[in-house]
Amino acid sequence: MKPTLRRVFLASLLRRRLATALSLLAIALGVALGLAVQLIHAAALDEFGRGVRLLSGSADLQLVGPREGFDEAIYPLLAGRPEVADASPLLEVEARLPGREDTLTVLGVDIFRIAAVQPALLPRAEVGADVGAGRSLLALEPDRLFLSEAARDALSTPAVDSDGRPLPPALAEGRLALQSGVRSHRLRVAGSLPGSSAALAVMDIGAAQQLFGRIGVLSRVDLALREGVTPQAAIAALSPLLPPGVSLREPEAAATEVGTLSRAYRVNLTMLAAIALLTGGFLVFSTQLLSVARRRREFALLRALGLERGELMRGLLAEGAAVGLGGGLGGVVLGHLLAGAAFRLVGADLGAGFFDGLSPQLSFDPVLAAAYLLLGVAAGVAGTWLPAREAARAAPAQALRAGASERSGLLQPRRRGPAALAAGGLAALACLLPPVYGIPLGGYAAVVLVLFAAVAALPALARALLPLLGRGRSALWRLAHARLSATPGQAVVAGAGVIASVALATAMSIMVSSFRVSVDDWLGQLLPADLYVRASSAAASGYLDAQAVARIAALDGVADIGTTRLVNLRLSDEEPVFSVLSRVVGGGWGLPLIAGSKEVPAGAALPPVWVSEAAADRHRLALGDRFELPIGGRMEGFVVAGIWRDYARQYGAAVLSAHDYVRLTGDTRINDVAVRVAPGHELSAVAERVRALFGPEHVRIALPGEIRAATLEIFDRTFLITYLMEAVAVVIGLFGIATTFAALSTTRQGEFGMLRHLGLTRGEIGRLIALEGAITAALGVVAGLLAGGAIGWVLIEVINRQSFHWSMDLAVPWRPLALFALTLVALAALVARLAGARAMRRSAVLAVKADW
Amino acid sequence: MQSEVGMTKSLMRASLTTFVLAVALLVGAIGASRAQQAAPYPPVVPGVALQFPRDLGAHPDFRTEWWYITGWLKDEAGVERGFQLTFFRVRTRIGEDNPSRFAPRQLVLAHAAVADPQTGRLRHAERSARAFEGLAGAGAGHTAVRIGDWFLRDETGQGQTYRTRIEAADFAFELDFEAGEPPVKNGRGGYSQKAADPKHASHYYSRPWLAVRGTLALDGGARPVEGHAWLDHEWSSELMPDGARGWDWIGINLHGGGSLMAFRMRDGEARALWTAVTLREGGAEHRDQGPAVVEFRPLRHWRSPRTEVEYPVEWALRLDTPAGARELRLRPLFDDQELDSRASTGAIYWEGAVRLFELREGAETEIGQGYLEMTGYAERLRM
Amino acid sequence: MLHIESLRKTLPGSPPRVLFDGLDLRVAAGECVAIVGESGSGKSTLLNCIAGLEPVDAGRIALGEARIDGRDDDALARLRRQHFGFVFQAFHILPHLSLLQNVALPLWLLGRADGEAAAAARAMLERVGLGARADDAPQQLSGGEMQRVAIARALVHRPALVLADEPTGNLDPGRAADVLDLLLGQVRENGAAGVLVTHSRIAARRADRVLELGVGGLRDITGLT
Repeated sequence: MKPTLRRVFLASLLRRRLATALSLLAIALGVALGLAVQLIHAAALDEFGRGVRLLSGSADLQLVGPREGFDEAIYPLLAGRPEVADASPLLEVEARLPGREDTLTVLGVDIFRIAAVQPALLPRAEVGADVGAGRSLLALEPDRLFLSEAARDALSTPAVDSDGRPLPPALAEGRLALQSGVRSHRLRVAGSLPGSSAALAVMDIGAAQQLFGRIGVLSRVDLALREGVTPQAAIAALSPLLPPGVSLREPEAAATEVGTLSRAYRVNLTMLAAIALLTGGFLVFSTQLLSVARRRREFALLRALGLERGELMRGLLAEGAAVGLGGGLGGVVLGHLLAGAAFRLVGADLGAGFFDGLSPQLSFDPVLAAAYLLLGVAAGVAGTWLPAREAARAAPAQALRAGASERSGLLQPRRRGPAALAAGGLAALACLLPPVYGIPLGGYAAVVLVLFAAVAALPALARALLPLLGRGRSALWRLAHARLSATPGQAVVAGAGVIASVALATAMSIMVSSFRVSVDDWLGQLLPADLYVRASSAAASGYLDAQAVARIAALDGVADIGTTRLVNLRLSDEEPVFSVLSRVVGGGWGLPLIAGSKEVPAGAALPPVWVSEAAADRHRLALGDRFELPIGGRMEGFVVAGIWRDYARQYGAAVLSAHDYVRLTGDTRINDVAVRVAPGHELSAVAERVRALFGPEHVRIALPGEIRAATLEIFDRTFLITYLMEAVAVVIGLFGIATTFAALSTTRQGEFGMLRHLGLTRGEIGRLIALEGAITAALGVVAGLLAGGAIGWVLIEVINRQSFHWSMDLAVPWRPLALFALTLVALAALVARLAGARAMRRSAVLAVKADW
Repeated sequence: MQSEVGMTKSLMRASLTTFVLAVALLVGAIGASRAQQAAPYPPVVPGVALQFPRDLGAHPDFRTEWWYITGWLKDEAGVERGFQLTFFRVRTRIGEDNPSRFAPRQLVLAHAAVADPQTGRLRHAERSARAFEGLAGAGAGHTAVRIGDWFLRDETGQGQTYRTRIEAADFAFELDFEAGEPPVKNGRGGYSQKAADPKHASHYYSRPWLAVRGTLALDGGARPVEGHAWLDHEWSSELMPDGARGWDWIGINLHGGGSLMAFRMRDGEARALWTAVTLREGGAEHRDQGPAVVEFRPLRHWRSPRTEVEYPVEWALRLDTPAGARELRLRPLFDDQELDSRASTGAIYWEGAVRLFELREGAETEIGQGYLEMTGYAERLRM
Repeated sequence: MLHIESLRKTLPGSPPRVLFDGLDLRVAAGECVAIVGESGSGKSTLLNCIAGLEPVDAGRIALGEARIDGRDDDALARLRRQHFGFVFQAFHILPHLSLLQNVALPLWLLGRADGEAAAAARAMLERVGLGARADDAPQQLSGGEMQRVAIARALVHRPALVLADEPTGNLDPGRAADVLDLLLGQVRENGAAGVLVTHSRIAARRADRVLELGVGGLRDITGLT
């Protein structure tokens, strides 16, 4: 077997170098994409986990709650419990640097507490700081802050402002300004944080509470448990003491939570990679099928000479495995390169914003690499399976008969019509399945089934469509038409890759286009004002208090204002992020409702809540339902008065009326003020007045158009990776055309030689091949467009709904799709012609002589 | 295995505590801008009458305050050990305008130590925290100081009984104290001058002869103990004069039921700057303060192998009383009773159980047991 | 009709091998010539040279008034589709075309309309006796039937010259005779010139003239075999 394997089977791969190389490349791309997605995510999670471990130190448990923090009253309660050895309270603030785009993470710590729990946060005073002014308790001083080296580096480099103008470094002469509300506070850098690698600052917790207006609020309490108390036991004992919206978790769970948050996005990318790999498998299938057909007599001879059926089968599978192995190896290398490049170019979250500010390191994971290598081999073997079985089953005597080669180029697959119908039906059923752990498995199954149905239906489609194309007078057209009408199987083999890639690209572009149009529309509804004022992003330390809001309202030229307060709640460990917006609901301050109304239901005993689609999906809410939120430290009941479309917060959001929110929480802070400008006043003049009111470095003023542009830019960046994957899929699809035609040009040398005898020029042979390629591709493109439309629908109505819980209006990008289809057909013609170049080069004389 | 791990963890935490607090408390300097806003520390002036039980509690306006218990314990086997327990309160003048409960206006620090001759050195532990309601603080009105689960409390609020519980990595004690007599005011009615300049002074009373009963755990199980103790409660704003390096102090319960408190403030050349004595014996009370009302003369030195600091561990004391001069000798329970508290108060000092002998007709007779404190031998004591 | 003068062809190599030199041949319309010779003597090469598929080293080939030598590739291709018919040993019937389409192929190449091409092809199939099976796929045919289709394809566009290279090489002797008779009969009926290359003397005998190819050129051996 060994020499046979080498000389007969593996050597055959070398003889058809182009086809082998393309199959290999396709598998490599599929493996690389999948692996890269995995690597990037693993590295990002790793880095995130490292950060968590560093910051939580030796804490056994963490008390976590809403992003805005929770009432500190729970802290002494927990610290005094017998289960708890040490408790360290923290206040985490994203401090806005006035006039700048970036923020600084400031941790307010109790220096007496962190030593035992989070030693990485221990500050070290700068030797020689303020020498001679007496001695004291430097780390407790309210105007002092300690910077990690990373933070110091970042703050010491010159920056640019939102308009791209250069700014001096934020940190100068040991002083740093931080913004709280609409005011700046200058702090002195008193030293460093030798234990911390992240970019952060530490200051006294009491000072931080005062500075940032967070008196009585903590973000986290880290607990070290007493000897012999397990985290589980402690959670069981302590949880009953906790107020709503606050929970205890092990520090490692933070990474898991982020993993859960980004899971849907990651799974979607992995699925795209899987489709690339599937296309690679198709490609192996088509090249092997053709290669086996061409070598039929060779195999018949070998079988006649005593090669066993099993040996033949194994030999062919080894060919596929070799291609898969080569592709897998290449893919593993390429995957690492891709991941590395992605880190540099788009960041660890692939542009999706889950891991802001992390700088993860790419690391080699042998198990993961081996798994993806195996996937590559599996794709190669699976692609070879059917052709190998066919070859092994063939009766040698029949294949050896003269003239058999005439038929070898003809692929007549069994009729798959029923299979296509069945797959389509199953796909429809799969769409009805609910998601599994938030992953729309049914939707993905439907995608695969639709793809299968499209491939299986291709011969039937060819039979149905080709007669419609009619018969031109051109001999080439008639030849190509006749050839494809007679051998729809060829279309399947060559076009399967095209179907998969076109379907994918079509589906994605329909989805992205629908999404983009819907987002644009939604922004229009959401931003009815003339300009928007905010002190910083909602997550950072800038805010507007009631007085600031009143001053804006009183400005000359301001007709009307609407305010928004955004806070994030923690509903449970499974639902760690839930946004609450407190705002005015009526009065033309837009809310893109899809159900219910902006009016408060008459006679309702509970205050109204307007929930986002995601919230309605995740919490199974309908109009009129009761919905409880942990707000103001209590569980408060609301009645669902409306459901609105929200593309900003996939974990769910709820709008409360500002009146109810302030009544329940006492929180009068405002994140955004929407301003309607009175008629006859210039927008820019009003904006200038607002800036002058607070100092231009303390407020950001955005026009709806700018917000829209920025949002759409983020949108486009998020989908950049999917465009790249589409491009890869299209390239793989074209490979399918190339390999098929390269192989066909070999089997059809006799035919081309005869045609040359009959008077076709070399150029006409080339055009014939190009025409066949174009028609094949066109069939594949039509099938792909149809499948893509179906998959697009599945993406919009099933996968997006189930993963991200948002609906969108269908918007098919007709013109780009048509252009894409035509381009692909033209490219396919070119590729087929290039691949078939051998047929044109070969001497017509020799071609008619050779029988096979 | 489990306990080893636990031990390591505790020790690690303890050493980390040491590190951070040294950093936090001793490095760097005060910001001049801040101090101007906070109210100044009130001066200690003579003529303020101490009132009990009110003055058993904290005086948060003053800069520094401590409750200081030292004593001798005897277990059922008759083994004698010393113990010490101190709660400090410090007003930082930081964050006094800050409504945050975390504002570090008041800090509480604590030391506890057991002098066990078998161990050969002190077992000690320390804690520090900002005052935070429910977790750490020093209450006013009656004695109630705590850091976490370490506390010293006047259970009745009348100043008759105290209770403490300390749990550390390598020792623990839980003790009840009962006072047989009212507090003894040192100096002039509790105004204890520390230097020639009267602004260097403290409010200071002592409670000798507290009867002690409770349990002590060294390695392993707790054993019942009983003995006698001495409580000092002292608050001040400007204790040490310029030029002072440290002090030597004794508090001795005399076997006859009396008590002796004496200290001297030392300069850099080990010369006395100021001295004071309070002696109560057989119903008579002798109180005096001045540059040389009691003489401290070192007899024998001991050098710490850890810090290389040399301490005079045996002393000759001479004090002149109206009844005549007294020649006294102090000898330690054992030499190595050095306490390194750089983690909390930041000082290295010697704080140990001693016996007091009187020289009568050439022979030494033991007349009392108590504690000797010697500060400023490593570096100038900073308060 | 076919006029060859002083044709020389050498095969590349070192030293180059001379296949033939000073070869002359004339074939009149309606005449069928058979060329025989040893394997490797250059029979097929001569045929290819006539078809313009292989370059010659010297000499002149003309079909009627049209020179074959010296034309470029595409001009030769156009000449072939108009004036040449081919019959191959391996038939080269396209499996994906029906018999009718296979026969109509040359007419397609000439740009004839569908109806016209189909009618002509059908008539031609009638002439080779396969009229009833015009719409069948080639897979159902025997070897002899395949070659009949090939003959029909070679003649359907009424070429001036029909070239056949071992047309009976893949057929058993009985079938071979029938096919050969059909080929020669149809060539004559069309008034075309026919050149047949074969190593079968029996086959060659049916031609009007039999020529043996040697290094020196062609030697008429009609009647000698």
